[in-house]
Amino acid sequence: MAYKYYKDNRAFIEACVKTGDAVVINEEVDWDLEMGAIVRRTCEKKGPAVLFKNIKDYPGFECVGAPIATYRRLAIAFGLDPDTPIPEISKEYLRRTTGKSYPPKVITNAPCQEVILQGDDANILNLPAPMVHDGDGGRYIGTWQFVVAKDLDTPFINWGMYRQMAFDEKTMAGPVLPFSDMGKMWHNKYQPKNIPMPFAVVVNPDPLSAIASCAPAQIAEDEFTSQLMGEPVEIVKCVTCDLYVPAHAEIIIEGVLVPNVTIDEAPFGEYTGYRTSPREPRTAYYVKAITMRKQPIMAMSNMGVPTDEGQLLRSFSLGLEMDKMLRDQGIPITGVHMLPESTHHLTVVGVKPAYPNIATQIGQLVFGSKLGPWFHMVVVVDEKTNIYDKDELIHALCTKCHPVNGIRVEPFGVGTPLNPFATPAERRLGVAGKVIFDCTFPLDWEASDIPIKVSFDNVYPKDIQEKVLAKWKTYGFKE
Amino acid sequence: MAEWDTYINVNFKDMPEEIEQVTVIRDLTPGKYKYRSTYAKIIVSKDPEKYPEKVWVRLGRGQLIPTPCSMKILEFVNIIPKGL
Ligand SMILES: Cc1cc2nc3c(=O)[nH]c(=O)nc-3n(C[C@H](O)[C@H](O)[C@H](O)COP(=O)(O)O)c2cc1C
Repeated sequence: MAYKYYKDNRAFIEACVKTGDAVVINEEVDWDLEMGAIVRRTCEKKGPAVLFKNIKDYPGFECVGAPIATYRRLAIAFGLDPDTPIPEISKEYLRRTTGKSYPPKVITNAPCQEVILQGDDANILNLPAPMVHDGDGGRYIGTWQFVVAKDLDTPFINWGMYRQMAFDEKTMAGPVLPFSDMGKMWHNKYQPKNIPMPFAVVVNPDPLSAIASCAPAQIAEDEFTSQLMGEPVEIVKCVTCDLYVPAHAEIIIEGVLVPNVTIDEAPFGEYTGYRTSPREPRTAYYVKAITMRKQPIMAMSNMGVPTDEGQLLRSFSLGLEMDKMLRDQGIPITGVHMLPESTHHLTVVGVKPAYPNIATQIGQLVFGSKLGPWFHMVVVVDEKTNIYDKDELIHALCTKCHPVNGIRVEPFGVGTPLNPFATPAERRLGVAGKVIFDCTFPLDWEASDIPIKVSFDNVYPKDIQEKVLAKWKTYGFKE
Repeated sequence: MAEWDTYINVNFKDMPEEIEQVTVIRDLTPGKYKYRSTYAKIIVSKDPEKYPEKVWVRLGRGQLIPTPCSMKILEFVNIIPKGL
């Protein structure tokens, strides 16, 4: 049965406007930094998304900024009440992604192909790609988009959100990291054989397809999207190749990745809140066609200091995919939460400490998984600590984690070139140190040695707690 | 005189001058084509008057050098193979 969801990002933004979670700007705005500055500020204030109706130099186009940079908008994307608490949104994600999966449904006459441009008309400088931050290496056409590609020798299809810079009329460039799904296809298969790899970039997709494309899904993202929707996602065949794209997206850019040619890309404001990776030769995308809706809507995610989509959505799905993996392994966890403010570098795992060194085992499992390159801090707390409460987390970290015995350092892990803390050599190699913070009391301590947590719900008898709670307002307190 | 910018991955004091080099330059002419990039064979000088084109220099992470340089564009270079 289909869940409540939005078939396209237009309907989603309309819903956000109704709840006060998006604002519409009718005044003309400049694609050159002004739009970026507006979106950056709203991200830093955890404010609403923005729909720009009137873009300088680009009549006929609109642009949406910061589509899902808050948990409220994430809840709306799932068809939930915007006030839904994080644990409930997480439950919904887990429920849907462990439910029935469906192959996608192919349709014809798709909205994303209302306009078809080929040859010289397929000119990406005719799209209102924003100059997101001053100093960026170019205008970024791909910040809220994903790349569709097919493996060379298996039926595997990948949808992955990998950024793209507009280079000239026909070329884009972007990092395709070697451990990403498309990176494995491209760097290990197509490129060594000198075969151009067809791609389709889906700009401004519906919210659930976008969430799937930046989640570390264990199955192909078109099926994963269908799981999130509770029915098959509608796709349409590209005009220049055999790839299929979500039919209700706003703009599609089709072409080929160019083997053994690189183009200088970046710097770019990244999800860590810094411009870390320098200008470097990166993967080249050659454009053959652009298809789009009439009156198409561009999209921008503005990465920088928290909170943007890169931090919020990646924290959300990385944490929950870790949750599934740890439960599959039979670890008695109570939950996993990644803090967006940590730029998805810190993950909190709640566990019933069933045997000694369970925290180390958890850390090693998650660092050793496919998800491992994206974070380097795991904090393990006991089952009584609320993993969603930052105050409880800091308290546990500062009181239960032994500064020598409780911290396990693994100097040699897989990292990304984007880690601001990494040495220049580590960034070049894509390696990173990892650290586990064990915030559970050791199991071999005598009961009489274990400190007692002095909190309202731990050091008062139940009947006193209930009495105080029942009379709280009559004592004169407001909340 | 058009205005351009370019990125260097070394410190400004070590920027190669007075030699032919192939690099990316960006056109800063306002409008839809602002920031259009192209590979080009150029010669750069820190003397802003020496060559006909004005070029601003940015370091690898986007830091702008506050005074412009000048350059001569010898030729534009297409690095994408034909017939894709
Ligand atoms: C806004 C945004 C931009 C991203 N840009 C990149 C990128 O340029 N390169 C990259 O490898 N991953 C990038 N990511 C992370 C990938 O989307 C993420 O790893 C995703 O799970 C793709 O995974 P896969 O390669 O395992 O399919 C980005 C994520 C977001 C939310």
